[in-house]
Order: sequence, then C-alpha cells, then structure tokens
Amino acid sequence: MLGLAKKSLPSNDFAACTGCSLCLLACPVWRITHDVRLTPHGRAKALQHGLAASDLVESIGACTFCGACEPACPEDIDLIGMIGGLRRQMWELSSPASPARPRGAVVSRPSPTRTRNVFVANQMLRDSSSTLARVVSLLGVTVVEDDGADMSFALETGMSVSPDRIDAFTESLRRMKRIIVADGLLFRHMRAWLPRAPIQSLGAALSRLPVVRRNLLATDLYVIEPRGYHADYTRQVRHYDALRAETGCTINLDLQRIAIPATAHNLSHRLGHDVANDAPHAQWILHGRRVARIVVESLGDVSVFEQIADCPVVHVAHLGDVPDTRARPGALR
Amino acid sequence: MTTIATVPAGTPGHCPVSPDALRGVERRQTNPSRWNGAGWASFVGDLRGRGVEVLEDAATRAVFATDAGGTAYGLPHGVVIARSAAQVSALLHAAQRHRTPVTVRGGGLTTEGESVAFGGVLLDMTGMNRVLHVDSDALTVRAEAGIFWHSLAEELRRHGLDYLSAPLNLTSSVGGTVNVGGIDVNSPRLGCSADQVVAMQVVTPTGAIVECSDATNAELFQRVILGYGQFGVVTETTLQVRRYTPLRMRYFYYTSLRAAIADLQLLDANDASDYSGILTMMDRAVNLLVAFDSPAREAEFNARWRPRLRGHGEVAFAIRAAGYYALRPWKVGEALYIYRRKRELFPQFQRPEFLRGNDMHDRTVVFSRAVWKCWGSRQMVIPDLATSAETFIEAVERGNAVCRKYFAHYTLYCVGIKLREDHGAHYEMSCIPPGATGRAYGCEFEPMTRGGAYSRDYLQSFKNEIYDIGVDLGASYYRFGGMMKGYIRRVFGDEVVDRHLAMKRAADPAMILNRDVIF
Repeated sequence: MLGLAKKSLPSNDFAACTGCSLCLLACPVWRITHDVRLTPHGRAKALQHGLAASDLVESIGACTFCGACEPACPEDIDLIGMIGGLRRQMWELSSPASPARPRGAVVSRPSPTRTRNVFVANQMLRDSSSTLARVVSLLGVTVVEDDGADMSFALETGMSVSPDRIDAFTESLRRMKRIIVADGLLFRHMRAWLPRAPIQSLGAALSRLPVVRRNLLATDLYVIEPRGYHADYTRQVRHYDALRAETGCTINLDLQRIAIPATAHNLSHRLGHDVANDAPHAQWILHGRRVARIVVESLGDVSVFEQIADCPVVHVAHLGDVPDTRARPGALR
Repeated sequence: MTTIATVPAGTPGHCPVSPDALRGVERRQTNPSRWNGAGWASFVGDLRGRGVEVLEDAATRAVFATDAGGTAYGLPHGVVIARSAAQVSALLHAAQRHRTPVTVRGGGLTTEGESVAFGGVLLDMTGMNRVLHVDSDALTVRAEAGIFWHSLAEELRRHGLDYLSAPLNLTSSVGGTVNVGGIDVNSPRLGCSADQVVAMQVVTPTGAIVECSDATNAELFQRVILGYGQFGVVTETTLQVRRYTPLRMRYFYYTSLRAAIADLQLLDANDASDYSGILTMMDRAVNLLVAFDSPAREAEFNARWRPRLRGHGEVAFAIRAAGYYALRPWKVGEALYIYRRKRELFPQFQRPEFLRGNDMHDRTVVFSRAVWKCWGSRQMVIPDLATSAETFIEAVERGNAVCRKYFAHYTLYCVGIKLREDHGAHYEMSCIPPGATGRAYGCEFEPMTRGGAYSRDYLQSFKNEIYDIGVDLGASYYRFGGMMKGYIRRVFGDEVVDRHLAMKRAADPAMILNRDVIF
C-alpha cells in the first residue's frame, strides 16, 4: 500500500496536534470559509476526540492538497499524509468490494527513456505545446511518456496505488541525473519514492535559470506553485527568498513564508462535480499590491489572474521571450 | 456509582472530585459544573426561527472539547459560528430568555478552560474575521473581533503598517485578547493590547449592539476591556496601529535572575530599548533580550546603557556556564538539557528567510512559531504573577523556587507592561495588579511537560503554590479565570468582587455569558 517515506517528511500524526492553529493561517479553505471544522486543526481535534473519517466527509473533501499547512505545523505532523489516509478510508468505506476507477485509471505504463535529464510533465503542459516546448528547451530535458497522472489522481482522491504501479513508474527514473516534475502532488510523493534521486519541482528549476532571473523585474508578481513548494519547503523557502532579494519581485508568500495558492481546487472539482471559485485567492494575493506583470509557475493560474488583473500574465518559461513590461503598474479589475 | 449533580446556570456547583487532594488553596470548583441542558430543544428552535444556525453534530462539538491548556474538557450542546453582530445579538437574546449558557471562544488559547463550554452554546468568534477599514493617516484599523492577530498583521503589512503590541502567540484573537490583556516584548513601552483599543462594538449579554469607547458608553467600555468576557461579546474593535519596521535583536546572558531583572527594569525605566523581556532555561541560563526599531536607537543603547548591563555575550556566558558545571558534576543532566535546549531553540530565532543583515523581519511569526515549536504541548500549564515593579524580583524568585520543586525543566518569561494613567477604571479586577503605577511586571512560569505524565491535581497544586505567592504579595494574574477562579476573591477581596458580581447580575440577569470563567 502507498505510504510516504518517513525519513524526509514529517512523521507525527494527528494525535500530536496541540491546537495552536498555525495551520489555519496558511489554509486556503480557512481563508474562504473561516470554518475551523474544514481545516487540519479541526480534523485533528475531531479525531483526537474519537471521531472517524466517516464523520468528517465534508472536511476531508474540502482539502485542496496545497500542503501549506505542513510547513506551518510546529509539531511536524504529516498533514498531507493524514488527509491522504483519511481519503483512502473514505474511499474504502464508499466502495469496499471493488473500487471503481472514475477517471485516470491506475494502469501500468512503463516508459524507458535514453536521456538522463527528464521532465515529468502534467496534462496542462501537454495541452500547451508552446509552453512545453519552451520548458524542454530551457531546461534541456526529455519529456517522459509516463507522466504519472493516474497516480496523482489516485493520490488526491484516495484510491489505492499498487506497489507495482509505483515500481513501474519509478524504475526508469532511478538512473536519471536530473528529474523535473510539474505536478506538485506527484513531486511530493516522488521525493519519498526516490529518496536519493535529484528531483526538482518545475518552478524551482525554471526560477534558477539565469534567463529567468534576468527577466524577472522588481515590478513583477511571481506566483509560486504551492504544492511543489510546500513539499520541499526547507530548501525552497531559501531559494525563493534569494530570488526575491536578487530581483526585488513580489512573491505570493505570506508572512510565514507560506505560498498563497492562486487556485484552490478541492476534491469535488477534480472529480468534475464542482467548479471552485478561485477569484478570492488570487484577489488576496493582489490585494494592496501594484504590479506590472504576473509571472506564474502553474499554467492553471494564468486564466485566474487574467480574469481579475489589468496586467500581462505569463508563464515563467516564457519570461525570456516576452516583451519587457516595465510599464505602469496594473491593478485589480 | 457516584452521580454528578447538575446545577442551573449562574450557580457555583459542588466539586465532587477530590476536594481535599490539593495543596495550597482550598479547592473551589476548579472544574466548572456542566449545565443540565434544560430547555435546549426549545432554545434551538427559537434560534433557528431567528435564522441562527446551531451545529449539534459530534464532529463539530469535538473540535472545541478543550483549549490550548489541554487539561479542561467539556462539550457544548451546540456550536454557533459567529457571522455578524446581529446574529450574536439574536443568540444572546434567546439565551437570556431560555437561560442557556453561552461560552465565547476566539483562538481557544486559554489554559484554564476559560474557552471550553461545559454544556450550552459555544460561540466560535473566528467566523468574524474581516478587516473593515484601515486608516493609514490616523493609524487605526477597524476589524471584526474574531480575527487572529496574524491575519490582522497580514492585512496591515499590505499597507506598510503593523499593530502596536499583541500576544507572542499570533493565533490569539483580537477580541479574546482585549478581554484579558495581551502582552508583547514591546509592552514595556506600548502597554498591553487592551490599552490600544480606541473603540469597540459590543453585544451586551441581553443582546443590545452598542458602540463604546472612553468617550461613548464609557462604563461599558471600561467593563468589557480586560473584563474576561463577562459584560459583552466584542464583535468589532478599532485599534491603534503604527508604521511597520523590522527590528534588530540583541541578547545578553545571565546566571542570576535578580541581576537580569534589575537590568530589565533599568532599561525599561530609562526607555533604553524598544523591546525587552527575559526568557530563561530554568534559572541557570537567563536571557535578557532587547531589540530596536532603528539603528539610531540601537546606537544610543550601545553608547549609554550597554556598559551598565551585567549580562554577557554568548561565548563569555558559555565559558562561565562550563566552569560552573565542571565544579558540579552531579548537575551534568541539567547542563546537557541546557545545551540541547539551546541547540533546539536558537535556530528558531535565526531562520535566514526572516533575516536581512542585522534586521529581523516579521518577528511576530518568528516568535509565535518558536513559542509553539519549543514550548507547545498537548498539556500546558502556565501560571503567572503580575506585580508592581517593586515586588517583581521577589515574586519571580519565589515562583522559581516552586518550579524547581515541581519540575526538572521549566522556563520563565518576564516582561514589563506600561500602564496608562487614564485607564485605572479598565484595570480594576484584571491582570493589572491593584498597587502598580507606571509600569507593572508579569512573569509566566511554564514547566516543560512534554514527554512527562502529570495528574491534573499535581499541575493544580503547582499552580496553587505559584498563585499563593500572588496573594501574599498583593499581585494579580493573567490567568485567573477558569480553573484558577478560586483565587479571585482571595486576591481582590470581597468588596471588589461583590461589586463586579452585582454589575454582572445587572448586565446579565440570567448569568448566561461565560458563566464559568470568573463568577
């Protein structure tokens, strides 16, 4: 059964929760609902007092898996592992006999590759050929055929991922010199599955490039992809702090240095049942700030900002090939 | 089988649990009695008729079963998430009619069960958390009272502003804090958080929505500020704020509590630093921290006051400590604890992402996280003493002796609180000690309980011995509610308590609002 390696990730469980509420400060669900029941704090306290996954259906479904709570937690509770476990329990309760596979079925798709610098893309990038081509060109990587999308879907929804599937996915990656991953949730788990492999999130890899740093301006708002950032927080918080110091750009970090997600898609959305309203999150990122351009790591953030901001929105991979926008700062629409 | 009797609201119940097991003070209902639930169904029906949602499911109630102290447990019959003053008004109006207790909770960071509901309604104020207006010219902010200090800081920072002083713990709510005090390391200069309230919107226990300040409805304002939630539910506050500045921290180390406190008081009395406080590892490693909002203030400190301090730098202190323990090999365990503790603690205050050269940014985040990381636990008791400047050293030394008696490891946290001469009426029967003028001092005594197993009676006995010192010295306490309310009459006297009780009965005829906290 799937499980996170405990060496490199937080290892405490909900029983360690002291109720400090620091997770709330970072939680996008809290930011919108201000309902403690829907937060890691609320789930931990309910579990401590004898409730079960079946009592917490709404709360378990509300989590966006952004991972912001985990680096905020002073008890180092494995909060993403905890919510994943609860979702598995919910899944097992809802279909104990033969779990259906609603979408992104778990299938084995080994994909041997001959190069040693590889990129595990996600569906959004595959759908945007120009951005994908730019990423490949900038990073000098080969896109692997198996993007693990089925596993990412399973991990988020609580379905089981068989050890065989994980082996098939990781086998060809073990010998790689460099692995770059676009899907933040998959990135988190790959760090556990391949503890010695040189794995980077796409945003961190791109924002290290001189061409990107050169073209990032003090008037830019840089929007970090939160899942990858929080999964590798200790390293990445320093990387982005240096990026901010070098370029003077504004970053979607709160005072705790936690990334504020621009989109907060929950489980229902991923299952196609609901369309989350992302505007409040992006509006909060922009609130009180005047920026000339918005640079995003996740393609999914482009449309959200385009709807609410009066300034260009570009993917970080295109920073080197777009006109200079040192024009007047834009504002919220 | 023993039957635990239920009692009506407003009546102190008999405590059936080991009434003679405690040392120190005679036990007075240290665990509040549970309300018997009479008329709950009709109360809920009434509320729903007024459009107020009451959450009665087990999963919701369980979230609020205890507070940060983790030693008081109780379940409400139902939870209401505050959304507006009108909704709170409807709730309190119905609660008066049905005589249903209402316990108000902000961040839930009480340690004596003050925000735990033993039956009745738990009103979760964190649902009211919006910043309503920032006035950068007048340097004020209007916010709903359930907002966390951290969330307020996030908003203020977008305007280049910061709050004046707030609890080191950033998930305290603004409303909860102004009800009890709110102490920061800049309180020696700026006072407590409660003193920074310019105006408030309060829902009285009978459901009236009233705007109050020192100029308007002043009596209500005086009672609600530092009023432990007895005279109304704070729904909005207008607070003074300031321009944001990073700070520059300096640490000085002592082996003597007395010397460190004397130096702290010297600095405070002469306005020599912008922030000051003492944080210790037992009484062997005493850290006086001072900080500045500007290089100019730091330079002035270096020139005038640094030479007069008796504390050492880190290296000099380490050499002295090594010498001390080399001559006392039987204390090797203590030495190792201090060394391990230092290695755990120091990196929390030196996280590079919060440092720019000599400046620490967002100190409140750094401090708050360090507080929980290094001192947080599922079970916490933090008795405290608040005294005049003159009796503070004696209070700390006597409290330290009690800590040594009960626990292997503990921390003391000492800080001054500047008092406002015009706020005497606010301070009556509060954490501000009756005899203090100019500046009061507070010390928290926090045992390191993580990994240990302590009975509630053991912890209660420890707290009682600390609080007995306060009775002796004419002091007060930050945490005198909940399980410690037996001390209220001892420390303030019957005349003051009875006068406040009469005011409470007049304001809250059914005694429904936070009934277990004080009276």
